[in-house]
Amino acid sequence: MQQFFFTIWPKRKRSRGLLMLVFLISFCGYGQEMSVSGTVTGDVDGLPLPGVNVIEKGTNNGVVTNMDGEYSIEVSPQAVLIFSSLGFETREIQVNNQNQLDVQLSEDLESLDDVVVVGYGTQRKEEITSAVSSVDSDEFVKGNVNDVGQLLQGKVAGLSVSQPSGDPTGTSQIRLRGTSTILGGNTDPLILIDGIPGDFRTVPPEDIESIDVLKDGSAAAIYGTRGTNGVILVTTKRASGAYTNRVDYSVNLSTQQIANQLDLLTADDYRRQIEAGTREANWDLGSSTDWMDAITRTPFSQVHNLTFRGGNQQTNYLATANYRGLEGIFLKSDNETFSGRVDINHSMFDDKLKFNIGIIGRSNNYTTTGNGSSFNGYTYRQAIYRNPTEPIYADDGSFFEQLGNLDYENPVARIYESDGENRSQFNRYNARIIYEPLDDLTLNATGSLSRYYQTRGYAESKNHISTIRDGLNGYVSNGTTETQEKLLELTAQYEKKINKHNFTLLGGYSYQQNYYRDYYMENRDFPTDVFSYHNIDLGNGINEGRANVEGYSEKSNLIGFFSRLNYIFDNKYILMGSVRYEAASQLYRAHVPWGTFPAVSAGWRVSEESFMDNIGFINDLKLRAGYGVTGTPNSDGFGAVPLLGYGDFFNYNGTWVRTLVPSQNPNPNLKWEEKHETNLGLDYTIFDNRITGSVDYYVRDIQDLLFDFSVPSPPNLYSTTRANVGVMRNSGLEVALNINIYEQEDFQWTTNMNFSTNSNKLESLSNDLYQTTNDFFTTGGTGPPIQTTTHIVEVGEPIGNFYGFKVVGLDEEGLWIYETPEGETQSYEEFSHSFGDKQVLGNGLPNYYANWNNTFRYKNLDLNISMRGAFDYQILNFERMFTENPSMQHYNRLASSEENVFGQETPLEAPLEYNSYYVEDGDFWKIDNITVGYNFDEIGNYIKTARISISSLNTFTFTNYSGIDPEVDWSGLSPGNDGRDKYPATRTFTLGLNVSF
Amino acid sequence: MKKHKFTYKGIVLLFLIATVSCTKLEDTNYNTIVADEFTPTSDDVAALISSAYVDWRNTLLLWNGIWRSQELTGDEVVIPARPNGWVDGGIYKRLHQHTWTPDHDAVEQGWSRTYNGITNCNKIIYQTESGYIPMDEEQKTAALAEVKVLRASYYYLLMDLYGNVPLDTDFDVPEGYLPEQKSRQEIYDFVVSEITENIDDLSDSPGQEMYGRFNKWAAYTLLAKVYLNAEVYTGTPQWEKCIEACQEVIDSGNFILEPDQKNVFITENQNSKEIIFALAIDQNYTTEWNTFDIHMQTLQPANQATYDLEQSPWGGMAAIPQFIDTFDPEDSRLTENFIYGQQYTSSGEILNSTLGSYAGEPLAFINEIPSVDRSEGIHGYRFGKFEIALGSSNILNNDFPVFRYADVLMMKAESLLRTGKSEEAATIVTEIRERAFKSNPEKAEVTGAELQEGTIYDYGLRNENNSTNEGGEDIPYGRFLDELGWEFNQEGRRRQDMIRFGVFTSKSWFSHNPNGSYRSLYPIPQSALNSNSNLTQNPGY
Repeated sequence: MQQFFFTIWPKRKRSRGLLMLVFLISFCGYGQEMSVSGTVTGDVDGLPLPGVNVIEKGTNNGVVTNMDGEYSIEVSPQAVLIFSSLGFETREIQVNNQNQLDVQLSEDLESLDDVVVVGYGTQRKEEITSAVSSVDSDEFVKGNVNDVGQLLQGKVAGLSVSQPSGDPTGTSQIRLRGTSTILGGNTDPLILIDGIPGDFRTVPPEDIESIDVLKDGSAAAIYGTRGTNGVILVTTKRASGAYTNRVDYSVNLSTQQIANQLDLLTADDYRRQIEAGTREANWDLGSSTDWMDAITRTPFSQVHNLTFRGGNQQTNYLATANYRGLEGIFLKSDNETFSGRVDINHSMFDDKLKFNIGIIGRSNNYTTTGNGSSFNGYTYRQAIYRNPTEPIYADDGSFFEQLGNLDYENPVARIYESDGENRSQFNRYNARIIYEPLDDLTLNATGSLSRYYQTRGYAESKNHISTIRDGLNGYVSNGTTETQEKLLELTAQYEKKINKHNFTLLGGYSYQQNYYRDYYMENRDFPTDVFSYHNIDLGNGINEGRANVEGYSEKSNLIGFFSRLNYIFDNKYILMGSVRYEAASQLYRAHVPWGTFPAVSAGWRVSEESFMDNIGFINDLKLRAGYGVTGTPNSDGFGAVPLLGYGDFFNYNGTWVRTLVPSQNPNPNLKWEEKHETNLGLDYTIFDNRITGSVDYYVRDIQDLLFDFSVPSPPNLYSTTRANVGVMRNSGLEVALNINIYEQEDFQWTTNMNFSTNSNKLESLSNDLYQTTNDFFTTGGTGPPIQTTTHIVEVGEPIGNFYGFKVVGLDEEGLWIYETPEGETQSYEEFSHSFGDKQVLGNGLPNYYANWNNTFRYKNLDLNISMRGAFDYQILNFERMFTENPSMQHYNRLASSEENVFGQETPLEAPLEYNSYYVEDGDFWKIDNITVGYNFDEIGNYIKTARISISSLNTFTFTNYSGIDPEVDWSGLSPGNDGRDKYPATRTFTLGLNVSF
Repeated sequence: MKKHKFTYKGIVLLFLIATVSCTKLEDTNYNTIVADEFTPTSDDVAALISSAYVDWRNTLLLWNGIWRSQELTGDEVVIPARPNGWVDGGIYKRLHQHTWTPDHDAVEQGWSRTYNGITNCNKIIYQTESGYIPMDEEQKTAALAEVKVLRASYYYLLMDLYGNVPLDTDFDVPEGYLPEQKSRQEIYDFVVSEITENIDDLSDSPGQEMYGRFNKWAAYTLLAKVYLNAEVYTGTPQWEKCIEACQEVIDSGNFILEPDQKNVFITENQNSKEIIFALAIDQNYTTEWNTFDIHMQTLQPANQATYDLEQSPWGGMAAIPQFIDTFDPEDSRLTENFIYGQQYTSSGEILNSTLGSYAGEPLAFINEIPSVDRSEGIHGYRFGKFEIALGSSNILNNDFPVFRYADVLMMKAESLLRTGKSEEAATIVTEIRERAFKSNPEKAEVTGAELQEGTIYDYGLRNENNSTNEGGEDIPYGRFLDELGWEFNQEGRRRQDMIRFGVFTSKSWFSHNPNGSYRSLYPIPQSALNSNSNLTQNPGY
């Protein structure tokens, strides 16, 4: 934003003291010869604009319009007046002896578009030398969008955003340019809300103006240790410049359904099987229950947003209030949030000193039927497992249970006999002071304090299975979490233009301190249910020694110094260099706690060269190259030092004492994971600005990957040491293309396409100190009763490889026929089912992503269609693996369990197993977001604009995948596992209304 | 002008102050202790010494622990595939069929948990010797002796399972140091000398204060165990030395044979005078998952109602039918140590099967299992030697006896038998049998000649696919092996006894075929080979 002010104020030759500034406007000036007055209005609404700067060009003579947009100024007859106001295009008008000069300013949409938010500042789009993508609010995904990530879905090449869960408390999963770590943590991008670290839900989507994504290392390196997974810079709606008071209100009403309902055996199917003799008659319990129907509902969600803006050029403010009442498709799964934000700007001393104060408050609560978590996926599993001939209720009105079956509980009872709520409060206070002591120097101090408190209460009644079967006699848990984050950032920016040379030098310091505390208690054996989770002290479990109490706290800090130099020569050649020097408490007492994260990038605006003058169809062409280093910290603290922890109990002299045991080997050589990224790019605008886009190629080498390396114990105190051993490479291509296909007054069609690839390879798992003889490890788990690992991480191979037995057929006895890794076909008896018989069965990470967004506008009607696809990857379908095997009698199964396996008439006889039969291709193309909207012109005297819209999300999916949704969990080291307890993905329909007063 | 400069400089100065004052890394640690910033006081001694004992409990009883490596590989216990699972990638079947690989979980766990105990012992010995742990000289001597014998006990486990293992006794080693592998003989020599050199400094109190720890009597029993198997470990038998060690325990007069074997295994068994060394377990303290859950592994889910358990059992582990067949039907060790026949709720109602093709029919355990690859809920006798208290959680509160007096007597009897004193041996065996045949004391009588006969275990493949007859008459002193099976089943030791009697790698049972004599040693685990280049794999693997 600071940049903008430089254009408003003409350069002054002399600097002044602060006190002098106060008197500047009234007293400064030269000999006056005539008086000019008039009214300044906006071009859209024609309303007067207060706070517009009116300045005589080449002088320090200037005034500001009053509340009615009126001004009066004494100038020389041949003077040129400059009218400027933030958010409007600056106009220069020759006075020409006129005494009355009414001016209309047009809203400056371009100037906002052209500024890209980069780390600690902004840059003009044409001067950017890194892979940075900007998404403005009008391009956001519309409809029932619940976090920042979802707004960006399909909008940025190389950024994969998915919503694998339909849980109303779930958040987006974001992956930028592939997997970057093998420890599993630290996969989220750094999200900054107006420069201050936050998360996907710090501010509601309605409150966001634009989002900039720093994709490559040369852009993100200024954020050092936190930059590896990309940086998402969220700019909230701001008050700025002069406003006529304005109120915007929007409402969204939504409902949802499961994206693709699983086809399970019904009660009729059971009876048919009994008749056919494939099922014992005693499985028919006489009722017909659709268990999925019994635990789901048609949810209704509503979102209201109210934004108020006002003020003048000196002091202006914005306030928003947002309410989100969300319901999930499962009973008792919801999420209710009220958030408010106030943002106040004040500028004084001739705009040399500016203040910004912001307050964000968010109050959230949601029902929990999981112990401390919203919806328990195990309940969903029970609805799938449940015999459809069972009734929900027994004859006496209690819930019908079959206690002898393993892992078998009435799902409806689980929902109604548990009760809980998580409540939280988040507050963020931030203040920023911007001081410009010299024309070219800007000093900026930002401080913020964020606090988050959560309380959790959960109870299981005496009718819950935990009492009926497990004898707890009532169960309650209470928990609480507190986090606090303090941030201080000081920056100084000096900008100088000398002839064709344009320099910007930035220097800064950042100190961040985090505090986390959590405690949790549980109790059992209650005299009554009536208090739910509110009277945890009533339980007798604490006296019986069967109550659990836990506590955890940590405090950490992060200290960084950073600097950046931008140099532009002749508007053609652009050079950027930055460095961050950073340390964090995770490396407390490590040999080298400070890391250096340099970056350099360069751009060449080819289209500015004279030899391009004749190539008319190219409007703008820029080549970019960048290299940058970013880091990822160790997720746990104190990795460098040996740790002792209190371990298991031992009976010593008749009393139980807690043992004191080593909990970690020291590794003083511990350091950051470092990603070295090279990015080559091209930005182009061609055919009369009709087509714009970019192409980027990147190679990211991640070195010093952290890994828990096996070491012999003894002599080591602990059998693993966390060490920087691995090397991994991601490389890929990103292409973005925007076309204004048709642009007439009544009809417009714009389309936006992007495509990206990523290929990943683990190159090493050793270093000089730590050498493995095994160059792989297995990861991911099926869970019981199959109990095996699903994935392999192997040197020379990509992350995400499924690793299991390969089946090629079924024999006449209904047993699998296998293919060994050597390619030999073996019968079930011959095949030894050992680890050595496993092979790679596919990979869970898509190699290609494509997105295609279309906007059509006909007069006041608009239509948005966003499509997305991911290709060349596999999914392990857990639902089929666990519930398609007909040998499983005691749980319900998928209807597909009656289909032939490999065309074999004999049903499958082998026990449940993880093999290639359940690994499916995931490739999909989704028509995801469809929005139809109608914009009303001014209605009456009060309503300035209004819009009504209908939209859908996750609308149609084209795929061969047989599960609920092919967009599965792609996080961590076992991507592509479509877990059986996962809250199903949903399709959403939304009706929206926006009104501005 | 001046004023402005002052302001400007002032702000620059403020920047600098803020910057300089905030470059220190925060070092507040609320959850763990940075080891070298911690100085123990006398209050911490118990916590430090105890840390070395926990690994005994873990290595024997946790999932895929030594209990399983000793029992699932033998001829008494099997985990067949069940309607609700228990295939788990074939790991239990692999133990049964002796087809484990160096990366088998039981192979890995038996090594890493045991060495973890050795690491803790080495550390405590180092810290005690260096004076880091505050103790007076007398305490120091006793503590060093105790921890050294404890360490020897871990090496005994490793010697028994893996044979040739790295011998590591130092804590303070240079960076990058990798221990050297020693032969089974060298480990044997080390274990024997550590016990004999330190035994006099051990407490001779058998009371509560040394409960679950190595006092003199636990150490003599351990020594007797090592001597009993000396021929397996070194090729040279040590029967006389075994008798001497047993005699020390017998002569101490501290221990008795419980009149009823049950008393050793009841929930509140900590006061049993038959127990010499036990792993103390309490569901409120030893809360690690799988700490002691034989009942969860063996009972059917429906049996939750039999014992009012807090959780549904997982229905897997059962007795091999051929083993059950060896019992005299009147032997109370059959009728009391196994769960069979119709199952009832705690209030006496008939329980039905809930899983598999017998669902809805009465749940009655029969002495029949189709094969390791297939079984239903009704198949196989279940394990009930350890009392399952009504209302138990997933952890049984019974302490686990590692060494008990009956074992000392039987070790002495075996050594006598093998040194030609079969009648003396028979007297001891008869004494132990008496409490199992209270209603028919004649059946308790056993003669020296009988003990020299072969085993009555009807070896041979016996499952729904195969049936062969190998018998057991050719096994020297086989009848004594039978006696060990009857008395000590479910106690996590069958493999060791079978190896000593030459059965382990030579006979077939249930779905198991012999798979090479090298299988009497486990392979060095893959992860150990990966992390220490000094190690050589055991022969055959």
